[in-house]
Amino acid sequence: MYGGGNTFEAPKQNEMQAEDPQKLAEFEARIERGEKIEPSDWMPALYRKQLIRMIEQHAHSEIIGALPEGTWITRAPGFRRKLALMAKVQDEVGHAQLLYSAAETLGKSREDMLSDLISGKSKYSNIFNYPAFTWADTAVIAWLVDAGAIVNQLANSRGSYAPYSRALERICAEESFHLKYGHHAVIHLATGTPTQRKMVQEALNRWWAPLMHFFGPPDKMSVHTEVLMKWKVKMATNDDMRQQFLDMYVPKIWELGLTIPDENLRKNEETGKWDYTEPDWEEFKRVINGDGPLNKERLAVRRIAEERGRWVRNALLKSEANYVTPLA
Amino acid sequence: MTIQSLDPRVSRLGLTSLQNDDAEQATVNQFPTFQVFTQKKEDKPFEHGGIVHAPNIEMALIFAKEQYSRRFTCSGLAVAATTSVKTTDVSENKEDIYNLIQEPAVSSSEKEPYEIFHLNKRGKQTVYAGSVEAGSFEEAAWEAKKAFQNDKPVYNLWLIRRNDILFIDEEDKDIWATLGDKKYRDALDYKATDKIKAFKEEQNR
Amino acid sequence: MNTPAIKDLLYKMADDQLILGHRNSEWTGFGPVLEEDIAFSSMAQDKIGQSQALYQLLHELGEAEPDTIAFTRNAEQFHNCQLTELPIGEYDFSLIRHFLFDHAELIRFEMLANSRYEPLAQLARKIKGEIKYHVMHANTWIKQLGNANEESISRLQNSLEYALPYALGIFEEGAHEEALQSEGIFPGEKAVMEEWKKRISERIEQTALRLPDFSQLQPVYGGRKGQHSEHLQPLLDEMSEVFRIDPTAEW
Repeated sequence: MYGGGNTFEAPKQNEMQAEDPQKLAEFEARIERGEKIEPSDWMPALYRKQLIRMIEQHAHSEIIGALPEGTWITRAPGFRRKLALMAKVQDEVGHAQLLYSAAETLGKSREDMLSDLISGKSKYSNIFNYPAFTWADTAVIAWLVDAGAIVNQLANSRGSYAPYSRALERICAEESFHLKYGHHAVIHLATGTPTQRKMVQEALNRWWAPLMHFFGPPDKMSVHTEVLMKWKVKMATNDDMRQQFLDMYVPKIWELGLTIPDENLRKNEETGKWDYTEPDWEEFKRVINGDGPLNKERLAVRRIAEERGRWVRNALLKSEANYVTPLA
Repeated sequence: MTIQSLDPRVSRLGLTSLQNDDAEQATVNQFPTFQVFTQKKEDKPFEHGGIVHAPNIEMALIFAKEQYSRRFTCSGLAVAATTSVKTTDVSENKEDIYNLIQEPAVSSSEKEPYEIFHLNKRGKQTVYAGSVEAGSFEEAAWEAKKAFQNDKPVYNLWLIRRNDILFIDEEDKDIWATLGDKKYRDALDYKATDKIKAFKEEQNR
Repeated sequence: MNTPAIKDLLYKMADDQLILGHRNSEWTGFGPVLEEDIAFSSMAQDKIGQSQALYQLLHELGEAEPDTIAFTRNAEQFHNCQLTELPIGEYDFSLIRHFLFDHAELIRFEMLANSRYEPLAQLARKIKGEIKYHVMHANTWIKQLGNANEESISRLQNSLEYALPYALGIFEEGAHEEALQSEGIFPGEKAVMEEWKKRISERIEQTALRLPDFSQLQPVYGGRKGQHSEHLQPLLDEMSEVFRIDPTAEW
């Protein structure tokens, strides 16, 4: 589950000057032809750097993303929900594994990525720093956060880096189960007892702002990413993804008789786009810089999981077994 | 004082602080990686699925089973250490990588089976092509060229000595025989349009 | 068919699978290695799925719906052995419990595949594969960590010694042992235990671990009669927290 959007650094002026123009031209021609880049190909340093950053953040978002819903894994009501939630949280861990593997092909080891996550050096999607207070929060996450993630991931799967596309192809297929399960759970709450309806409406109220933040700051506030779009690293603008999400899901939320906590939200018939109250981007920045409701707990949990597992890994490590960059 | 969380599991982890006080850095090297291949049906070729990190090949196979075949029934699963896979360059723009492979100068007398995998399109998974008998990777590539080159370009070859691959035993293939078909993992099992319809009718009454 | 005897058998099996599956699901997201996190979660799901199937057989014999049976009973109405309800502890304990329990489970289902109670025999045949993987997984881990370094060997040894008396509680006999045997439904707990001792001994022998003398161990019984440790009721309260908000609601 990943929104992205906010993750790119503006390339520095001189960053491209050292590149061999001939190799760069061949590289760009390959992308232009619609061919993917495989790990052993030559690639500009900036491409490698930005991809590691993006795929690593995506992987971190999956493994941290397992925690908000994991909050309810021991309390899911009934066999069907219990099994589905276990399988879904497991999938998020599985997606992290696939994405770390894709990032590893670019030359950064998984241990290094996990260390950078725990130390706070690498970021992950802001939305997972918010708490899941009730069962209904998990239903809203499974439906709408995964829906947002699918919008982003479908776009990214058409990107140029082959290992990332391969991982996303499988991830998107599995997310379709998450989305349907989440929708199913929300429908049951929204059409259920008054208590259930109240739970789901309150959860939606809590998650709407983080969902609007999910795709990142508006394009007018974002760094210039033309070269990343040309290289098919970034596949859609933040605003486009947000509009696509609103288009697909606002009607589905409304049809359940739920209220979206934004009185300005409506489809503008003239522009064909959704109007909405601009989300609080100052809050977004605060949370991304570590000051969200649960940033500290999320990282502490990851840290203690690593610490508690260390004896297992140390016992099995053999000095003669060398780590090499995986192939694909 | 242990930290209390909304997640009762986290409350039980015994966290005493949320501060990241100089967490012991991961100085240990990581486990080696293994390339995983799955065969979805008896008559389909093995296909690369991805990698696992594991301390050795036996555990790699145990891990691979759940990470790469928990959603569908497989008829085969195999792992090989990344270090045991030899690859060629990756060609582009419909150029066949086999055209760059030349006959080795010397031929060995001791031969053993090599498994050959093809990348048929950039961005797709590498797929099993077949096996050849050879005395070295160079010979295996040449034998593969003679056996498998056709008018469709191949972009990348993977060559692995059969002895370096661990397969699930024939007699253990029933590990994919499970309770039902794990419907709860399937998007198709979550239909609720009738509930929405009933809800709307209720609202309009 | 002797329905009370069958129900007794089904209840204890289903409760074991549910409670252990629930416990093992607590590791999801916190495992020692990403790949293992995934594998352990799958096996927890398998167990919960198996418990649901067993409760379904009970439902067909006139008991309540699986959700009702699983989510509304109190600790004294549960028949799981106490081994399954113990907290997950560190990974050494969770692995040892998984190893000890799953060997017994595999033997039990292998025997039940020939049961004259056909619905259970069918179920046992269907889940043969998943349980086989569970035991492969357990054996591989125990072999690896049981031969690795001082820390892993001593951790496993301590957990083994702690868990074994509870593990013997898996085989606590019920009131219907004879009936189940004479009617060809189930060969009985003693038969499972004898085979289990043989198989786990074989595996432990391949490691640096030592198996204590079974005759010196005091089995922890009571679970099959609804007597539990202080850990079960809080587990059940947690498991049913949402369900009990409104047990008649559809969630």
